[in-house]
Amino acid sequence: MSTALIENQTPSAQRPWRKKSRNDVLIVVVASTLPALFCFTIYQIGILSPVISGMLFVILQIAAGAIAGTIHRGRRGLADGVLIASIGFALAFIGTVMSSVIWSVLTKGLEALKWQFIIQNNEYITPTSPLGYGGIGHAVLGTLIIVGIATIISVPIGIATAVYITEVRGRSRVLVQGLVQAMSGVPSVVAGLFIFATLIFTGVFEFNGLMGALAYTILMLPTVARTAEEVLRLVPEDLRSAALALGASRARVVSMVVLPTAKSGLVTAMLLGIARVVGETAPLVFTIFGSAKTNINPVEGPMAAIPLYIFNGVRQPFAPEQARAYSAALVLLFLVIVFFTLARVLSSDRRKGKK
Amino acid sequence: MITTVEAVPFVAPKTQGAGVPDQDLVLASKNLYVWFGPRMVLADVSLNFPKNSVTALIGPSGCGKSTYIRTLNRMHELIPSAALAGQVIFEDKDIYDPTVNPVDVRLRIGMVFQKPNPFPAMTIKENVLSGLKLAKLSNSNQNELVEKSLSQAGLWNEVKDRLDNTGGSLSGGQQQRLCIARSLAVDPHVLLMDEPCSALDPGSTLRVEQTIRELSEFMTVVIVTHNMQQAQRVATYTAFFLLEDNNPGYAVEHGPTQHIFGNPIDQRTSDYVNGRFG
Ligand SMILES: Nc1ncnc2c1ncn2[C@@H]1O[C@H](COP(=O)(O)OP(=O)(O)OP(=O)(O)O)[C@@H](O)[C@H]1O
Ligand SMILES: [Mg+2]
Repeated sequence: MSTALIENQTPSAQRPWRKKSRNDVLIVVVASTLPALFCFTIYQIGILSPVISGMLFVILQIAAGAIAGTIHRGRRGLADGVLIASIGFALAFIGTVMSSVIWSVLTKGLEALKWQFIIQNNEYITPTSPLGYGGIGHAVLGTLIIVGIATIISVPIGIATAVYITEVRGRSRVLVQGLVQAMSGVPSVVAGLFIFATLIFTGVFEFNGLMGALAYTILMLPTVARTAEEVLRLVPEDLRSAALALGASRARVVSMVVLPTAKSGLVTAMLLGIARVVGETAPLVFTIFGSAKTNINPVEGPMAAIPLYIFNGVRQPFAPEQARAYSAALVLLFLVIVFFTLARVLSSDRRKGKK
Repeated sequence: MITTVEAVPFVAPKTQGAGVPDQDLVLASKNLYVWFGPRMVLADVSLNFPKNSVTALIGPSGCGKSTYIRTLNRMHELIPSAALAGQVIFEDKDIYDPTVNPVDVRLRIGMVFQKPNPFPAMTIKENVLSGLKLAKLSNSNQNELVEKSLSQAGLWNEVKDRLDNTGGSLSGGQQQRLCIARSLAVDPHVLLMDEPCSALDPGSTLRVEQTIRELSEFMTVVIVTHNMQQAQRVATYTAFFLLEDNNPGYAVEHGPTQHIFGNPIDQRTSDYVNGRFG
C-alpha cells in the first residue's frame, strides 16, 4: 500500500521527533537575541550602569521567553517560555560560580605545580622558600590514609544502620533514625573537638591520623547512613517477597538480593560520604595537628592532610606559600575527580542487557 | 494475635460441593480466618489439597484468593497489619506452630507471583540458581539444573544463548517464565501460583499449562486464575471463592473441576463459571 513497499525499498531509519520546524528555530533565535542586543546597546551608549543593564537583561529575556512561548503554543507556552528563560539564567549563574572557582584554583594553582610538588614533603621548607622546592606528598598520603580509614569505618556502619532501619525494622528504628538525623547536623569543628576532648585531652591518645579519621567518621556516618537508607527503600518489595518465597532467611535476602540490587546506589552513598569530608579542615586541626614530615603511620605522631595544608598556606602573607596552597587545592580537586570516576567505573555493571 | 482482633459477627456458610477426598493430603487449611488490621478478609476457609493434584482457585477480584494462598506458605505474615486464626496443615504438621521455621515452609512450598519479579542484579542463569544459593542448598550439576528448570518453564529455547544477560532484559512474559523456572529449581513439594499466566501470550500460556500438568505427576499445585478455560484445562479440583457486600470472602464450593463447571451445587457458582456474574 505504501510507496516504500511498491518500490520494494526499505526506508532508512529516521527520527522525526528530533526535527524542529524552521519557524520554531526562528522564534527561539529572535527571542534570545533581541533582549541581549537591546541591553548591550544601552550599556554601550552609557545610559545605565552595567549592573542595572544586566538586571534589565534578565527581566527582558524572561519577558521575551514568555512572549515567544505564547506566540508559539498559546497559554501553555507562556509558562514554558518563562521557565526555560529562568532555568537558563539559573544555569548560567551556577556555571559562572563553579567555573570561576575552578578557574581561580587552576590559574593560581598551576604556578607551583611541578612534579616534585606532588612527591616531596614540606620538611625544611619555609613560607618564603622558592617554588622549585618542597611539596605536599606527605599531605596527599595523609589525606588518603585518613579518608581511607574513615571510609572503612563509616561505610559498613552506615550501611548496617540503613539495613537496620529499612530491612530489620527493629523496635528502636525511630530512635536510630532520629539520632542519625541529629548527627548530620553536627558542625565539623565540633566533631574534631569531640575527639580531642574525649580521646586526646584525656591522654588516651596523642595527636595522630587515626584521631582525624575518627573525627571524619562522625561527619561521614550520617551522610552514608541516610543515603543508603534512601537507596535501600528503592529496592522493590517484590524482590524481597520473591527471595523469601524461595526459602531464604532474612539475612540472606539482605546480603544476596537487597544489597546487590542497590549496589550502585550504595557506591553513591559512599562517594557522598567521602565528598562530605574530603575538604574538611576543622575536624583535623585538633586531631592530626599537621606536620611537615611524611608520616604514614596513622597511630603514631602528627600527620599532614591537604585541607589543613591549604588552610595554613593561604593564611601566610608570602606569595610562594600562597601559590603552594593553591596548587594543593588543585591537587585535591584532581584527586577527588580521579577517585570518583574510578569508583563509578568499577561499580558500573558491565554485563550485557542491563536496563 | 487473635486477642487484638475484634470478633466480627459474620458466620461464613459451610463450603458446599462434592468435596475432595481427605486421605493422602499434602496441604490443607482448617477453619482459616484472615485479617488485615481490624478487617476480616477471609472467613472459615477449609480446603484440602491431595497429593499430586492441581487445584484452581477462582472467584471475583478482591475476594481474597491471593491472600489465601499467601497464608499457605507463610508469606501473609510479612505484611505488618496481617493476622490470622486457624490451621494450615502441611505434611501432617501445622505450619503456624511456633516451633516451625517459616523459612523451611517456604522452601518446600514455592510460589510464583502475579507480577514477574526476577532479580535484576542477577543473570538469567543466576536467577534460576538463586533459590539454591539463597537457601544454601548445593547441587552438583548446575548447568543441567538450569536447562531442566528453564525447559520445564518453556523458556529454554528462547534464552539458551544468552544465559548471562540480566533478568531485566527479558520481556514481561519471559520474565514470568523465568520466575517459574526459579521456583522449580529448588524442587518444592507444593507450588503456589498466583495468576501466573496473566502476563503471558496464548502460546506461553499453553506451555505453562503443559508444565503444570507435567509437574502434577510429582508435585501439588495450587493455582489462582481468572481464566475459566484454564481452570478446566489444568485443574483436578476447583474451589470457588466469593465476597458479598462488605463481608469477608469465603469458599462457596469446592470439588472436582467437572462438578464445579458441569453441575455446580450452588447457584452463584453456576452463575460465575458461566459468566453471568458481576
Ligand atoms: N496488604 C494489604 N493490606 C490491607 N488489605 C489488603 C492487603 N492486600 C489485600 N488486601 C485486601 O484483602 C482483600 C483480598 O485481597 P486479595 O488480593 O487477596 O484479592 P484477590 O482475590 O487476589 O483479587 P484479584 O483477583 O484482584 O487478585 C481485598 O479486599 C484487599 O483490599
Ligand atoms: Mg490476586
